Amino acid sequence: MSNYFAIGKPIPRIDAIEKVTGRAIYGDDLRFPNLLYGKVLRSKYAHAKILDINIDKAKKLLGVRAIVVGKEMSSVLGGEAIMDYPFLAIDKVRYVGEAVAAVAAINEEIAEEALDLIEVTYEELPAIFDPLKAMEEGAPLIHEGINSYRHIPVIKPIEHSNICHHVQFVNGDVGKGFNESDYVFDDTFTTQVVQHGAIEPHVAIAQYDPTDKITVWVNNDGPHRLRNDLSKALGIPSTKVRIINPPYIGGGFGGKGGLKEETICIALAQKTNCRPVKILLNREEVFTSTITRHSSVVRMKTGVKKDGTIVAREVKVIYDTGAYAEKGPTVTNQASVAAAGPYKIPNVKVDGYCVYTNKTIAGAYRGYGIPQVAWAHESQMDIIADKLGMDPIEIRLKNVLDEGDICPTGRQIMTSIGLKECIRKIQNDSNWKKVHKKAIGRGIACAFKNTKTPSGSSAVVKINSDGSIEILTSSVEEGQGSKIVLAQILSEELNVPLCSITVSSPDTDVTPYDASSTSSRTTFHMGNAVKNAAKDVKKQVLEIASNLFKARIGDLRIENGKIYKIQDPGRKLSISEVIQSKYRSGLDIIGRGSYYPEVPSEKGGMWASPSVFWMYGAHGVEVEVDTETGRVKILKVVAAHDVGKTINPVTCEGQIEGGVVHGIGTTLFEEMIIGEKGEIVNTSFLDYKMPTALDISEIIPIIIEVTHKDGPYGAKGIGEMTLVPTAPAIANAIYDAIGVRIKDLPITPEKILNNLKKT
Amino acid sequence: MDRLINLKINGETYELNVKPNTLLLDLIRDEIGLTGTKRGCDTGECGACTVLIEGKAVNSCLVLAIEADGKNILTIEGLAKNGKVHPIQEGFIEEGAVQCGFCTPGMILSAKALLDENPNPTEEEIKKAIAGNLCRCTGYKKIIKAIISAAEKMRRRG
Repeated sequence: MSNYFAIGKPIPRIDAIEKVTGRAIYGDDLRFPNLLYGKVLRSKYAHAKILDINIDKAKKLLGVRAIVVGKEMSSVLGGEAIMDYPFLAIDKVRYVGEAVAAVAAINEEIAEEALDLIEVTYEELPAIFDPLKAMEEGAPLIHEGINSYRHIPVIKPIEHSNICHHVQFVNGDVGKGFNESDYVFDDTFTTQVVQHGAIEPHVAIAQYDPTDKITVWVNNDGPHRLRNDLSKALGIPSTKVRIINPPYIGGGFGGKGGLKEETICIALAQKTNCRPVKILLNREEVFTSTITRHSSVVRMKTGVKKDGTIVAREVKVIYDTGAYAEKGPTVTNQASVAAAGPYKIPNVKVDGYCVYTNKTIAGAYRGYGIPQVAWAHESQMDIIADKLGMDPIEIRLKNVLDEGDICPTGRQIMTSIGLKECIRKIQNDSNWKKVHKKAIGRGIACAFKNTKTPSGSSAVVKINSDGSIEILTSSVEEGQGSKIVLAQILSEELNVPLCSITVSSPDTDVTPYDASSTSSRTTFHMGNAVKNAAKDVKKQVLEIASNLFKARIGDLRIENGKIYKIQDPGRKLSISEVIQSKYRSGLDIIGRGSYYPEVPSEKGGMWASPSVFWMYGAHGVEVEVDTETGRVKILKVVAAHDVGKTINPVTCEGQIEGGVVHGIGTTLFEEMIIGEKGEIVNTSFLDYKMPTALDISEIIPIIIEVTHKDGPYGAKGIGEMTLVPTAPAIANAIYDAIGVRIKDLPITPEKILNNLKKT
Repeated sequence: MDRLINLKINGETYELNVKPNTLLLDLIRDEIGLTGTKRGCDTGECGACTVLIEGKAVNSCLVLAIEADGKNILTIEGLAKNGKVHPIQEGFIEEGAVQCGFCTPGMILSAKALLDENPNPTEEEIKKAIAGNLCRCTGYKKIIKAIISAAEKMRRRG
């Protein structure tokens, strides 16, 4: 058994008490004196020139304090990967729902009324909604300026095209591999547009001060990233931008990063003479005007031997990123690296394309492009197994990566791989071999996922003279449990009671740098930073104590917040007594810690290096298909994930259960329907169906621990990975049940019935 | 024309002038200042704004403030008594049923309405009672577990 003090214990979350009592503060709960309310006029056209915007009538409306249009900020472009994103549309609109003008008024009603008085004259342009057409030569250009945009080095836009990024990974020789294969499979899989579905809408409050410093209170998942993006876009030093996160964010799943409503809020705040302006998106705006998951087309060609050995795989991945690049290029990059699946394949070629269309912007979404490629490689894995007469588990166990294997797309040796254990757990725990009843089937899928690399995190640990301890961190608590995980790491490292620890929420003026609370990176990166800060502060406390105890530091121990000499455990002093012995009138002890992965430094910085860790997981699903109605009932999901080392088993299970149900929704019923003119048809929770409590089945979360040498106590991430294997596991189970293979998500009853008719 | 209404929220009496079109949600959040009642969709689809009116769970974004005239309303802030949390709140903490927390107040109040009426519900009855409360984080499993454990506790304590 482990001797851990806090690690691995199912300690209730420290934020739970505030949340169950309604005292937790979210963005819309913040109160500001003298607040103005911002509303946004949005484009009804998918692609059109803006010929004129007449604000004369709106300006005269009583209570209106500011109106802004994009032309006023015509030189300002933002974006993390490619700087193509105007704060409001400048000379043309590129999707239905794009911000065209905005009003700040003394109340919401007046702001709304003013929007109706703004007259915009458009000249419609041909719009493209199909990424394959958008890629064709001669297609109308959505961004004429694609060649001139600034972008990070790893991103490669193709000149005079709608392709904002093309990436290629080659390992071995696929041509030779296909020649050596007994069978070659060639299938195309597609995925739909889906929404993140966080229950809290996006909200931002922006306020300038008289020195032209802008403060933005916003539920954004990367406050320091946002500060950098804004300072770059506005051409001002980062110290002129302050991002304050509300204490809590009501769910993110990737939907609350990057530049969203905050840009419009800032544009308005520039004109309100230091009055704060708030923009709270309504649900319809969250659907139409924030971001979605990338719809995708993945063509997968795979060569295998008769015994099931995969010899070659060629993948073409196309992600539709909508009107602006947002995180599309890096989604494409990350997913392309993983597109061949977690298998030993000697010959691999992957081409990833990120394509502009005139649709709502697609960006980060739990899984960051991996769900789409896993949908393809895991569905095809069962197609192959079926043809070869192999068991789906057997073919996976034969091919999955082992310790020391090279990543199928090259570049790195893979380590700490708990995938075989995950698969074996599915085999043992999911009635895998039980006799099938009619229309009941079982399916498995496995996958791996990378994290953005390199990326850095810093933390400060402050011990106050009363012995209470604060973690200053820019990690964002958006539900994933960062506060409890970081507190447990500190509690462990210092050996102090958890109740003495508080964890800050981010404020870029106060809390140190963190790349973002995304990419399942917080436990690993910020966990390491907190651990390092704890070591630093511990050393300082023990130095003081060594004088008190007349002992060397190495002879002292901290246990449950008390310090003593190992040879004399009878005499114990609290940390507070030790600090006060030296600093009688009061001083805190400050520890600092940073983490930046030691990875091969490829040129290019952000996103340029092989992943510092990989997550592995497998899901086994049992379904029952009603062949009369085409309805799929999920009976059971067994979900096994390799987390490296569990910091808190309850939060790990919570991530798995949540990811599984999220995955059931995006597999069976969620789809944002795009109308003929590029408008989103279903912009409410009534029409966009997310799983309710009535939709859930038996879920068995299984945690596998194969420690990672660089993780804090061996821990890795988990959050995104839990969504990834669900879709193909369900599709494989449906095939097992009724012999119908669906290759395009979502798997609706209609598609099942149509396919049943064909068979 | 503003109208004078009289209502009890969490046991406290309020006499307020409200516009006829003011929503109960806005009254609770903006006039009274109880922000535990959350705004998720404004159209009665997510359940984050659930409050209890005379013990019944309702979406406060679908109720006009004037309709609540003379009524007893319970919001999430009124559930803990004398610094002691309610068994449902306890269950949510202990079972790990809270993640982002945005659905939590509404979820807890829907559970309270259920357990007050049916102290020993089946899992299916629990699922039905919270079917109007969307949660994107938890997958509902631990929420259902929390409500079952709260029900047991409440029955034991009588």
